[in-house]
Amino acid sequence: MHRFSTLRRDYQLWIMILPALIVIFIFNYIPMYGIQLAFRDYDFSKGLTGGEWQGLYYFRQFIDSYLFTDLMRNTFLISFTTIIVGFPAPIILALVINQIRRKRMKQVMQTTVYLPHFISIIVMVGMLHVLLSPETGVVGLIMKSVGLGDINLLASTSTFIPVYVLSDIWQHCGWNSIIYLAALSTIDPQLYDAAKMDGASRWQTIRYVDFPALVPTIVILFILSMGSILSTGFEKIFLMQNSLNLPVSEVIATYVYKIGIISNQFSYASAIGLFNTLINFVFLFAMNAISRRVSDNSLF
Amino acid sequence: MGMKAARGRELLFQVVLFAVCSLIFLVIAYPLYFIIIASVSDSTLVSTGKVYLFPKGFSLFGYKEIFQDERIWTGYRNTLFYTVFGTLVNLLFTLPAAYVLSRREFRARRFIMLAFVVTMFFNGGLIPTYLLMKDLHLTNTFWVFILPFSVNVFFLIIARTFFETSLPRELYEAAAIDGCSHFRFFFQVAIPLSRALVAVIGLYYLVGHWNDFFTALIYIRDNNLQPLQIILRDILLSNQVFSSGAGTGGDAGGYAQRYADQIKYGVIIVSTLPILVLYPFIQKYFDKGVMIGSIKG
Amino acid sequence: MVWLLTVLVFTTVMAGCSNSGNQGSGETEGSDGAGKTVKLTGLITKHPLTKPLAEMEWLQQVEEAAGVDIEWQEITADWDQKKGTMLASGDIPDIFIGPNVVTDADLAQFQGLFLDLSELLEQAPNVQAMFEAKPETKTIATQPDGKIYGLPKYQRYWPSTGTRQFINHEWLANLGLEMPTTWDELYEVLVAFKNEDANGNGNPGDEIPMDWPGGIGGYFNPAVLLGSMGITLTDGSGQGYFVEDGVVKNYLTDERYKTMVSFLHKLYKAGLVNKEVFTHDYTKFQSTARGEGDVAKVGFTWGWVASDRFGEQLAPQYTSMSPLKVTDDYTGALSWSYDYNSLNYGVNHLVVSARSKNKEAVMRFINELYKPEVGMQVLFGSLGTNIKDNGDGTYAVLPPADPKMDPGTWKWTSTMADNGAFYISDNLELTLGKDMQEVLGQSEALAEALQIDVEQDVLPSMFMKYSTADNNTMSLNTTNVMNLAETKFAKWVTEGGVEAEWDAYVKESERAGLAKNIEIMQKYYDAYKAGN
Repeated sequence: MHRFSTLRRDYQLWIMILPALIVIFIFNYIPMYGIQLAFRDYDFSKGLTGGEWQGLYYFRQFIDSYLFTDLMRNTFLISFTTIIVGFPAPIILALVINQIRRKRMKQVMQTTVYLPHFISIIVMVGMLHVLLSPETGVVGLIMKSVGLGDINLLASTSTFIPVYVLSDIWQHCGWNSIIYLAALSTIDPQLYDAAKMDGASRWQTIRYVDFPALVPTIVILFILSMGSILSTGFEKIFLMQNSLNLPVSEVIATYVYKIGIISNQFSYASAIGLFNTLINFVFLFAMNAISRRVSDNSLF
Repeated sequence: MGMKAARGRELLFQVVLFAVCSLIFLVIAYPLYFIIIASVSDSTLVSTGKVYLFPKGFSLFGYKEIFQDERIWTGYRNTLFYTVFGTLVNLLFTLPAAYVLSRREFRARRFIMLAFVVTMFFNGGLIPTYLLMKDLHLTNTFWVFILPFSVNVFFLIIARTFFETSLPRELYEAAAIDGCSHFRFFFQVAIPLSRALVAVIGLYYLVGHWNDFFTALIYIRDNNLQPLQIILRDILLSNQVFSSGAGTGGDAGGYAQRYADQIKYGVIIVSTLPILVLYPFIQKYFDKGVMIGSIKG
Repeated sequence: MVWLLTVLVFTTVMAGCSNSGNQGSGETEGSDGAGKTVKLTGLITKHPLTKPLAEMEWLQQVEEAAGVDIEWQEITADWDQKKGTMLASGDIPDIFIGPNVVTDADLAQFQGLFLDLSELLEQAPNVQAMFEAKPETKTIATQPDGKIYGLPKYQRYWPSTGTRQFINHEWLANLGLEMPTTWDELYEVLVAFKNEDANGNGNPGDEIPMDWPGGIGGYFNPAVLLGSMGITLTDGSGQGYFVEDGVVKNYLTDERYKTMVSFLHKLYKAGLVNKEVFTHDYTKFQSTARGEGDVAKVGFTWGWVASDRFGEQLAPQYTSMSPLKVTDDYTGALSWSYDYNSLNYGVNHLVVSARSKNKEAVMRFINELYKPEVGMQVLFGSLGTNIKDNGDGTYAVLPPADPKMDPGTWKWTSTMADNGAFYISDNLELTLGKDMQEVLGQSEALAEALQIDVEQDVLPSMFMKYSTADNNTMSLNTTNVMNLAETKFAKWVTEGGVEAEWDAYVKESERAGLAKNIEIMQKYYDAYKAGN
């Protein structure tokens, strides 16, 4: 009886969410039977679910593999650094842009910072090669002129992660700041007026008015980013790899590519994918639980 | 605290702000400028670091090559259609759902949210998805760009968070007392109050469609349905081939090598320009406090 | 809104239904009654330069002669990504054409998806003629169980090696130096290149004495220096495997490799190797060697041909060199990288769907395609525009119609070229174009070193057909071994330390699976020998 009454009360809400439910169900849930491929052999003649059951064989194959520890370490390091350094960048950028008063300048700034997002990875890495070359690149020349000597930034194990992460920030920071800018735009102007009356400096306004308005978005996005702790991109790392930085640049995604999995070893690929997913999911769940307890914000 | 000190502080803030902005601007703008000059310079000079402030060995060969490909125009047309139509469907499906999930009184909220979040992590893989599309007769039709992934859970979450924080609770309660239904509240209050959100989510979806080449790569065979990105990727990769062609059993020729990079950089400009034009229209929705202020005031 | 949605979904299904008729391989017009053209579907992985297939005159003639009309899907990029889903879904065209378009591993995995041609070859006498004239083509095509799914190509004219060694002879002359013949002499020459302003532009610092694309193994790589100690690489030996006196080995753990790495470190330490050798991309590698105007920058390097490596303007400054001796008193044979097989044969260039409704028509098309006079057009372009018929049974490849274009680009633009499926008979009398003549001319310096015992010293990779399980094991192990080898090679060349770390490295390689791989390959190699 009670249930029915909420259903009646909320029927409009149900109608509004129905399209999304249907689409997600059809296109995301129906194909999920494919996950069992991680536990089965792939046998074309018997169909996707007809191969012999192998249990955890393919998982064990991955965990026992020669490069497993290296891969895990590298993958963690790269994506962890990306999150720690890369996550705050768009927030800061949004706060900075939000301070610009002159409309024209603000527009130019905003448009400029979001443009790098559209550069394809091939070109991005191509540019890194040109600009970072110790002999001929602009960055190389600048470094030389400030006395940093000619370090080949692309060649060393210690500079690979910084170059990867910083170029990533360069490329996506502006784009990711858009969401924070939108959140800032919803702040009630009365709050600013009040702050002004209290004699708050600009700095204090940022701290006590702007930043708190961003917190819910920040928390949610942070939870989500923790859920991608084992998902580094593939193409950029692959294109940036060379034999000198390989000890730190071989990650799960590039390894999977190299063992020729894409075309053939469907089961092994599924197992590695599922392994990744599970770890990501655990991280997401943990973050979500922490956040539920500490703040009032959580995903679910 | 005197007025003077406050003004001095403000001045210092302005100076620091200006310096920071200039630095950010330079760091971001220079490589962009580099792309532009590299797209009209001799590639050999570009890759040996001879080009940094002005174009050298000026030539429009790259652009000529790109626009020589007649498929470009079909590509533009298709992409435009997929983007506009696709984004509309995206918004139509995502925003109401996000609104629903932001209502705390909605009982199934936590469960549905979890069910959605799960799909961000677990998926059946490409083959079962392909088979599904085939069974639904979506392969090789434009619908494959529009329907299948019309709800992006990530954007859904962003939208939900936004609704939660920017729509004061009292607003709906007040409206409900006036007998306002969820439908009406959503369309007449929630959406107008969240124009910045609609702009952002719309922009994210739009650019997602604009840049998407994977869908076409897997599901489309008909050349007349190919989007711009596939065609540009083809042109781009054809020129990458020069960079490894010679060894693979034949002399792929040094003829276009000289300008191969022009194409690489030119492609970026050709594919980004239309989006660039769009941005100022969207940007105006981010102007601070316009909406809420005006409604409340 | 719900209403709108329903309409949306509904129209989708409708649109889907009405559109679905024209896909898949099934919808052909049935009977191959004479005079009626049969509609087929085809897929080709072509070079991105190549013009649309519909514009290839010879192909239209072939389709006409076979009485078929093929709707081609032309793929220029990302085939590997597309292939997996396409094959797994079973939604495939009648004919596939392209270099290794469907691999042996795919054939083993997708049992039943592709047509066994061995029974049908009577319908394609031209293919049978190829198998008879060149029995190795049949070996390439035949699976361990005797079935034939993929047809090979044979292009005959390509040289025995993909890598040629170049030195700037003008620099030698400027500095009054002799052509080096040993590693020590090479060292001396490179030192002079570095210190004495070899290109004479007044700047003694802008010469790069030596350069390669980076890494170890593959074409244009210093691994060819192993030939100085008698190792014959095969097809570039990208993963280190080679055969010596009938025994499969891997140079990555060979003492001679250690010697070579020490030498390379000596060069690197003296500043004779491009500092960016391990980090530059191929574009930059090529651009660097093209110098500035008529000022050359690179002294000693490897490449396909001089004009491609250095550009038309600088190419005349360079000479193709013979292999070096490791030391003055070395008396063993010199060798090089023997790539004849991979340059002239191709595996699985044409594959047919087992679900094709009209196999006779497909076979007719294949037969036309493998005709000797068609083969040369597949490779070089149509008669008339690309090839001249001299009228006396001999032919000549024509220069590009656009004088700005080089012959290589012209060929790749005009036709399927090396990516096609074809057979060039050894009896064909065809005068080659300028590009091929240049390659063959510059190969002459290597001819002596390539007088090797093909039976005992060449790894016939193309002829060895592994089982799926062995193939998977090997690819896993190879990834591990190469990860280690690449890393160590780069480190040893740039920082040294090969002497101290060698023993540990060899053991580590074994652990990564090298020994296991060699064992597998030896097994297949022996089986191949026994079969011949």
